[in-house]
Amino acid sequence: MSKHNRLLLVALSIIVVAGLIIIPMNFNRYGLYILSQWAVMTIAAMGLNLTLGYAGQVSLAQGAFVGIGAYGAAILTTHGWPLIAALGLVIVICFVVGWLLGYPALRVQHHYLAFVTLAFSTLMFLVFRNESWLTNGIYGISNIPRPEVFGFPTRKPLPFYYLCIGSLGLVTLAMWWLIRSPWGRAFMALRENPIRAQSLGIDTRRYTLMAFAIGSVLGGIAGVLYAPLTQYVDPVPFNLQLSLDLLMMVIVGGSGFMLGPFLGAMIAVLLPEWLRFAEGYYLMLYAAAVIVLLIYSPSGILGILDRYLSSRRTQAASALRAAAQSKLEAAQ
Amino acid sequence: MRSIVLAGLCSAVLLSGAAYAQSGAPIKIANVAELSGGGATVGNNWKNGIDLAVEEINAKGGILGRKIEVSHADSQSNPGVARAQVQKALDGEPYVLLGPGYSGSVKVTAPLAAEAGITQIMGGEAAELTQAGNKFLFRTSFGQQSSMPKVAKYINDELKAKSVAVVWVNNDFGRGGRDVITKEFNRLGIKVAADLSTEAGQADFAADVSKIKAAAPDAVFIYVNEEESARILKEIKRQGVTAPLIGETTLVGQKVIELAGDAANGARGHVGLTTDAPVEAVKAFRDRFVKKYNYVPDHNGLKGYLAIYMVKATTEKMGKVDSKAFADTLHGLTIKTSTEPNILMDVTFDQNGDIDRQGFLVEVVEGKQVVKQVLPKLN
Repeated sequence: MSKHNRLLLVALSIIVVAGLIIIPMNFNRYGLYILSQWAVMTIAAMGLNLTLGYAGQVSLAQGAFVGIGAYGAAILTTHGWPLIAALGLVIVICFVVGWLLGYPALRVQHHYLAFVTLAFSTLMFLVFRNESWLTNGIYGISNIPRPEVFGFPTRKPLPFYYLCIGSLGLVTLAMWWLIRSPWGRAFMALRENPIRAQSLGIDTRRYTLMAFAIGSVLGGIAGVLYAPLTQYVDPVPFNLQLSLDLLMMVIVGGSGFMLGPFLGAMIAVLLPEWLRFAEGYYLMLYAAAVIVLLIYSPSGILGILDRYLSSRRTQAASALRAAAQSKLEAAQ
Repeated sequence: MRSIVLAGLCSAVLLSGAAYAQSGAPIKIANVAELSGGGATVGNNWKNGIDLAVEEINAKGGILGRKIEVSHADSQSNPGVARAQVQKALDGEPYVLLGPGYSGSVKVTAPLAAEAGITQIMGGEAAELTQAGNKFLFRTSFGQQSSMPKVAKYINDELKAKSVAVVWVNNDFGRGGRDVITKEFNRLGIKVAADLSTEAGQADFAADVSKIKAAAPDAVFIYVNEEESARILKEIKRQGVTAPLIGETTLVGQKVIELAGDAANGARGHVGLTTDAPVEAVKAFRDRFVKKYNYVPDHNGLKGYLAIYMVKATTEKMGKVDSKAFADTLHGLTIKTSTEPNILMDVTFDQNGDIDRQGFLVEVVEGKQVVKQVLPKLN
């Protein structure tokens, strides 16, 4: 990337971040709620993007981890724990469970792996619903308090939105670092060619498990924010549908792109809201839009951008080659 | 000169606009319901009932001379989405909020409406909803805490059953009913011989029925949705279980009778609000509904319809459109069919927003509902 492009990118990200902080100040409660939902779903989708997009492991269990996070936060905060403590515990639980769930991924791949994780998703739904002593079953847990952050209460929509967007910012930075670290390269090597990765000395077994565990932790973090956002959890939102939605967010946004989940979650959370003017037809329009997008660009929204950029690069390269060729010919 | 004329015109328009806002502007009501997802049947019946009532009232000139305008929003049967849609509806400052129908979605949205001081008329039936001290929440049907004791009393007094098998659907509706009635059974000293949880949409009840058979109870209490009721009734007949079958609206409704045929005969149930109620006004409502939508509504259609007439009766009682005083007026209000025929049955709202209305105990005899007992209004 040239210096000029890098500057442009930095300027653009500053504008986007400032926009996300300043513009919502005038939003009504509904707008803030939807934007908070977008931030939460983006975190969960980033986790799946790591597992699926970077490490190449298909998982239909991300929704279940959001559920584990949400129930963890709901149960603990209604018993007087601070949210940050609940977050710590959820991170540990999701890491361990995600690690364990990774073991089947060592034996089965692709759609077989999808089925294994689907089974886990269903299992977790049944736990949420049937283990009433812990989760209050189908009645759900209500009156989940919103936390205080450094002494600031986040009960009102705007402070809570800042909590969500701040968490998203932290997760994004951590992710950015992870992708650029040797770990990120190992994950991608795993996706592109596991055998070659192994022959280069990468412990594919450990990295596969790690991809699952870290991806699951991000799902859990999203859940920890989801519970105080809606202030009520019941099993229904964490059924297989959520895992499928998250999978769609990753694929629509552009699997394996850092910014994919942001756009994917925007499509999944905001687009149906924008289409509500169509009343009874809004979900049909939404489905049609997603289908058309994926037919046009199977690699998602960022796939379009990527194709455009790489074609420009090819053009530039061939122009250079042509110029060099004519120079060479002239020299002869 | 021209500018003066223009200014005059403008102010005239503004003035008439202001006058219009005072008397003739439509009354805005917001509905948030399960229009897609698992609760789509519930939500769409509720919505159609509302639309029918609004159409009728607007055709007759509206409420206090003002037309009603209802907006419908889809909660996708998801409490998180319901919260967003209710927030959006409340940001628009509606006169009254209608819905949602799922108890979970009601629980997450009721505090928002209460905080905004907007009355919420909802379809949820879980017992706890009206027990949290919310001053703005109203039911459109019996809560389970008032219907289940009547059923338990019937099983105890009339059937003299000592043991009962309980079959319920594992969602908030079924679970809520099961919990209330089991508590009543304990109080009356009736043993629960089998406690069977089933899934919404379950197709095969052979295993459940054989468990009932093995338990050999004096009576079977069935609390599942209409389609599943029909399936389990057929299976019970096939396996030759002879114990009396007792349920609620969802066991003895017209849809169950159509689907189960002969197998529905002998099923008994408490019926609070159903399009099969032996009341002329309800039958007339059903005919109007079928004429408009070409299908027979379930009790959610009736609930949506009544919600709008509750708004009408309360507003006319106040004599003005005042969203702040609405809840106070509706608390303790009795709406009689003599003053508002389309409320269909006399109804009273108590201080919790719970409903008091006539109920019926019916039995299916040769494919028809027969009223065995009329359970009068309490007050």
